[in-house]
Amino acid sequence: MKGYRNYFANKLIWFGITLVAAFVLNFFLPRLMPGNPVAAIVARLAQGMSNTAGVQAIYEQYAKLFGTDKTMLEQFFLYVRNVFRGDFGYSFSQYPRTVADVIRASIWWTIFLQFPAIIVGWVLGNTLGAMAAYRKGGFDKVLLPVSIFVSSLPAFGMAVILLVIFGVTLKWLPTSGGYGYDLIPNLSWSFIWSVIVHYQLPFWSIVLITIGGQAIGMRSMAIYELNADYVKYSRFMGIKDGKIVRYVFRNAMLPQVTGLALAVGTMVGGALVAEIIFSYPGLGSTILTAVLGQDYPLISATTLIVTIMVLIANFVIEIIYGFLDPRIKAAQAD
Amino acid sequence: MGNAVLEVNELTTKYITRFGENIYAVDHVSLKVEEGKSLGIAGESGCGKSTLALSLMGYYFPPLYYTSGQIIIDGQNISGMDPDEVRKAILGKEIAYIPQSAMNALNPTQRIINFIEDVIEAHKPYATKKEIYDQAKSLFEVLGLPAEVLNKYPVELSGGMKQRTVIAISVILSPQILIADEPSSALDVTSQKMVIKMLRNLMDSGLIKSMIFITHELPLLYNVTDDIMVMYAGQIVEKAGAHEMVFTPIHPYSQGLMGSIMVPESGLRDKKLTAIPGVPPNLKNPPSGCRFAERCKYVMPECRVTSIPLRDAGGGRAYRCILPKEFLMEAYERERGER
Ligand SMILES: Nc1ncnc2c1ncn2[C@@H]1O[C@H](COP(=O)(O)OP(=O)(O)OP(=O)(O)O)[C@@H](O)[C@H]1O
Ligand code: SF4
Ligand SMILES: [Mg+2]
Repeated sequence: MKGYRNYFANKLIWFGITLVAAFVLNFFLPRLMPGNPVAAIVARLAQGMSNTAGVQAIYEQYAKLFGTDKTMLEQFFLYVRNVFRGDFGYSFSQYPRTVADVIRASIWWTIFLQFPAIIVGWVLGNTLGAMAAYRKGGFDKVLLPVSIFVSSLPAFGMAVILLVIFGVTLKWLPTSGGYGYDLIPNLSWSFIWSVIVHYQLPFWSIVLITIGGQAIGMRSMAIYELNADYVKYSRFMGIKDGKIVRYVFRNAMLPQVTGLALAVGTMVGGALVAEIIFSYPGLGSTILTAVLGQDYPLISATTLIVTIMVLIANFVIEIIYGFLDPRIKAAQAD
Repeated sequence: MGNAVLEVNELTTKYITRFGENIYAVDHVSLKVEEGKSLGIAGESGCGKSTLALSLMGYYFPPLYYTSGQIIIDGQNISGMDPDEVRKAILGKEIAYIPQSAMNALNPTQRIINFIEDVIEAHKPYATKKEIYDQAKSLFEVLGLPAEVLNKYPVELSGGMKQRTVIAISVILSPQILIADEPSSALDVTSQKMVIKMLRNLMDSGLIKSMIFITHELPLLYNVTDDIMVMYAGQIVEKAGAHEMVFTPIHPYSQGLMGSIMVPESGLRDKKLTAIPGVPPNLKNPPSGCRFAERCKYVMPECRVTSIPLRDAGGGRAYRCILPKEFLMEAYERERGER
């Protein structure tokens, strides 16, 4: 148990350090972009106004409201304090909506899209990879090149391919949005059906990308494990093949769990891109509009939330991994 | 003559490679191990010792395939049996195996006791966990292993302890015969001694009836086993009692092996096999005549014509060469005298 405590403490410290770094970067990076968003908002509001003093007054009012009249460092500490109070401030580009309000409207779309897609992709990828390793032959000969092809596509590539085939050419599925434009969100069957239909393309584009990489990894791990000495010894002690296959896949799975922890960041990044391509109303699309509108508070908040989600997923996976693999505990105990 | 625990007649097995080639790594091997006796198998790397060990189990999986011959354990011919029947009734119960790389022979993510449970359940589906634990604990105690080992993972054990644990697990179903493939090669000297002592102990205490011991360390073989068999390129080239094999080898290959560890006055020197000039033939297409011809200093044209049978040399000895044993033994004596 001591080994596991060390492991846990170690992971927790790294979690903390990464979190601090995320806070700093997510705050400063957007604000280093050239341009003055407050001026842009004011220019929009003040269209047609000729009184420069009036425009100036409006500008100052907004600068005060958004806090941009203070120094960058002051703004940062204010931001940190407010975030811990759950206050992300106003969105610049969608004023008077608050950032929290904008995020609340989009985050669930992202969570319901990405979690199931990544998990389904991971499970399917690992199952297929394991089958390819065990059955070999024709199945393996087809699966391997296809997986290599799929996993080397950039995330948006798969989205575009599916969009062109199923959305544009075959016209089977809608190509953009989270539900039909003509519908108002409610619990009616037609709305739910519309959501399900709109879900398909972004979902499968994420699933397919995930399957590719996972299948390749699982296949090579399983082939390695199938040739391990313990397999031969277990066979000669009379243990049934079915049981040995279970040993093998459990062991081959372990590195795939860490693989998942490493890949979660990239996957979420790719999935955000898929959202943008399908104009899915999640965080990905929100980040895009925030960046285009130089909406500092919204950029900081959305990227911070994505970072925190990835970090938590990572942390949870690593903690589970440490539990599953006795070698981790042994290595940490020395 | 005691009764034979293991009798093997003309056993031939082959590897089929990914490219469809046949490699006959065990070629018409016959041997017999009697109750209370141990047999050593020696030979250079690649001559088929490990393949013979695997083949003796009577349970084959790719790329190794059975071709012909008989394996008779305690009067029962297992070479024609249904594989699942062999798995249930023979493996671990009649014949057990310790792999060459016993260091990695245990599933790294399973506690020792859980593996033992799986082993026992494969043969006795109704054993309870408690019974299994008690059985394992008392076996470990008899063998001088701490019972805490049972609740550990393989990574938590030292190399020597892991090896002894594997040996203990191998005998948990009280097999008649144990086949140990280089059980001590990868260990430090102290652990080696403990492992050898443990194997001897298994024999002396009657936990196993007989043993086949494969190793490169000839002095070790001389000390541990009753008989020695020398293999070359998939065939047996000589069989003899351990003492006879070491002091009066007949076959030119055995002579080369033994000569490399002999010093005339002091008998055995602690030294591993040193290379005899040349390399063994490729087993994909072995020569039609004597397989040792390329490296033999007595080679004659007749040697290369047809395969050489194993000849009886009297006194339970046999060798595979066309030259008379008197000639070969005399030549060896002379050579030793000169050095
Ligand atoms: N899986 C395999 N597929 C094909 N050929 C094999 C395989 N394993 C072994 N061989 C071949 O069979 C022959 C005998 O190998 P084996 O491992 O039995 O030798 P060995 O005497 O045990 O050697 P060592 O002392 O190195 O353990 C060698 O020529 C080897 O190349
Ligand atoms: S048969 Fe000929 S080549 Fe073979 S060992 Fe005897 S003398 Fe040498
Ligand atoms: Mg070997």
